[in-house]
Amino acid sequence: MATVTLKGIKKIYPLSDDDKKKGKKGLFKKHEEEIEHEEKVNLQITDQGTVAVQEFNLDIADKEFIVLVGPSGCGKSTTLRMIAGLETISEGELYIDGQLVNNKPPKDRDIAMVFQNYALYPHMSVYDNLAFALKIRKTPKDIIDKKVRDAAEILGITEYLHRKPKALSGGQRQRVAIGRAIVREPQVFLMDEPLSNLDAKLRNQMRAEIIKLRQRIDTTFIYVTHDQTEAMTLGDRIVIMKDGFIQQIGTPYEVFHHPANLFVAGFIGTPQMNFFKTELAEENGQYYVPLFGVKFPMDAAHMEQIKEKGIKPQEITMGIRPEDVSICYEGGVEATVDVCEMMGSSLHIHTTIEDKEIVVIAQSKELPEDKQLGFAHGDKIRLHFDGHVLHLFGLDEKNLF
Amino acid sequence: MQLGKRPVWQTTLIYIGLILVCLFFLMPLLWILRTSLITKAEAYQIPPNFNVALTLENYIEVISDNGFGRYYLNSAIVALISTVLSVVLGAMSSYWLSRQPGNMTGAKLAILATQMIPPIVLVIPINTMIRSVGLNDTWMALVLAYLTFNLPYVIWMLLGFYDNVSKELDEASAIDGCSSLQTFFKVIFPLIAPGMMATAVYSFLVSWNEFVFALVLSGNATRTIPVAIAALETQNGVKIAELCASTILAILPIVLLSSFIKKYLVNGLTFGSIK
Repeated sequence: MATVTLKGIKKIYPLSDDDKKKGKKGLFKKHEEEIEHEEKVNLQITDQGTVAVQEFNLDIADKEFIVLVGPSGCGKSTTLRMIAGLETISEGELYIDGQLVNNKPPKDRDIAMVFQNYALYPHMSVYDNLAFALKIRKTPKDIIDKKVRDAAEILGITEYLHRKPKALSGGQRQRVAIGRAIVREPQVFLMDEPLSNLDAKLRNQMRAEIIKLRQRIDTTFIYVTHDQTEAMTLGDRIVIMKDGFIQQIGTPYEVFHHPANLFVAGFIGTPQMNFFKTELAEENGQYYVPLFGVKFPMDAAHMEQIKEKGIKPQEITMGIRPEDVSICYEGGVEATVDVCEMMGSSLHIHTTIEDKEIVVIAQSKELPEDKQLGFAHGDKIRLHFDGHVLHLFGLDEKNLF
Repeated sequence: MQLGKRPVWQTTLIYIGLILVCLFFLMPLLWILRTSLITKAEAYQIPPNFNVALTLENYIEVISDNGFGRYYLNSAIVALISTVLSVVLGAMSSYWLSRQPGNMTGAKLAILATQMIPPIVLVIPINTMIRSVGLNDTWMALVLAYLTFNLPYVIWMLLGFYDNVSKELDEASAIDGCSSLQTFFKVIFPLIAPGMMATAVYSFLVSWNEFVFALVLSGNATRTIPVAIAALETQNGVKIAELCASTILAILPIVLLSSFIKKYLVNGLTFGSIK
């Protein structure tokens, strides 16, 4: 139980000698090549090296569950590893429970970490894996035994205590890894993509267990994931990162309903938000968004903010979540159905309007009876975009509101 | 014919072939064993006489007259110390090297390069150095000389084993509260012990059998077995029977050693594939 404060934390990986020889120009070239077949990573390269994490400022409250989320290479794991003490901090200050810990080794930070690949000690039994940290700290044997058995009980691994990690399934190993952290009763609980090696069903199950676990051991959690569902369901607050920069910090509700910029809007929510390049136009004091020849007027709440902030008509990117698109029978724009996915209670309808793809989620029971099982390829439907569900982003990709 | 079962004649042929190959390699050894167990007069007989009485007189002579006990001790001490030193130092250096960020290509290449130099090239310079510090005719001289090729070998071999041990284990143990030394001894060492064992056996073998350095650097007091065996080739001709007896004596501990630790050896050599 502790607060964690990150002040202007920066991570710069120095250029290797090879890179220096090639010069920065060569490095950029290498970068471009990488981009072609790898995921796009736009880390800033300076004279000092590659900047993996930029000016990271975050106050984590006691017992808060913080999730760092972002695409691979965004610096989320690096940030976590700096908190853990596994990476040096290039710039900035890190406080755990009010103490500056920049130069403290991991063992003196009173943290526990769950690794992506579990990192269980293969030569030790589950019991010894759980007990290891306590043994190193010279805890009395009877206390170790009690703590290990308690943790095993919580995680339902009591019957495997004598086994070696090799003889366990992925899910069981994950439990042991979590158990190893629990017995420590650390001030801060760090988790680095702990569920990404599990299959989908197990992942959902473990996710629910982490929520339960959190209610039980009630400490500060910092959790790294690339999976936005995990981020939304687990986090009290979510930190969304990209290219080493924090994009937005907010509650799951905030980041979903009020994304700070285009990236966050596209990253959070599946299927992805639909985006359209258009403009914010004005007619007799009423603002509207023209799209496919139809004017979609802004609602009263938006209008109020427009007046308050003095937003001028301008070029924008408009975003609308698939579940916010409504199907109507008059007005709106006509769309052609390409593919319709039956998801059970809802339908994911992939449609096109003038070569532009739009995904719509419709609750099947709200559709007419003959359409509840889905639309056929080529069917025409009419779509309406309500003013109050529109997200408007300026040319700088920031949310206008 | 049942699926997967060879006819008898095929199996027989395969076994005959295998036995022939084995004999090809075993023949010299068997011949040495035979020669060591017959009288000197018989040993020189050409064509050889196969119907001879066996005797241990060569062994007795080698051990009692030629001071083989002393050479044994020299070999054992030198091989043991150089093996222990190279494994202990090598294990740590190699661990450090494998845990560095980046590939450390330069350092690794340098280590490999030491194995590319024919040892004989090093004999004269090392001899000069040893003499200049007054270590000639000591065990230490041989130990140091053997370290020059054993240590890089151990580092190189163990690198592969360390690379197989996930770095996350180091990190996990650091977070669990281990110092670097505790991490090494409590977590990493048990995992690469089989590899270390295999490497140790090999460097022991090399040190035990080493001849060129021993010839130059050892004196009467520190003569090792290979040098002692070579000394049996005298001005009056090769003392073939004694030579064979001492060869068998030289091989014996190695054979015993390897059968004793066969388990570790196999584990070490298949490390990684069973992970």
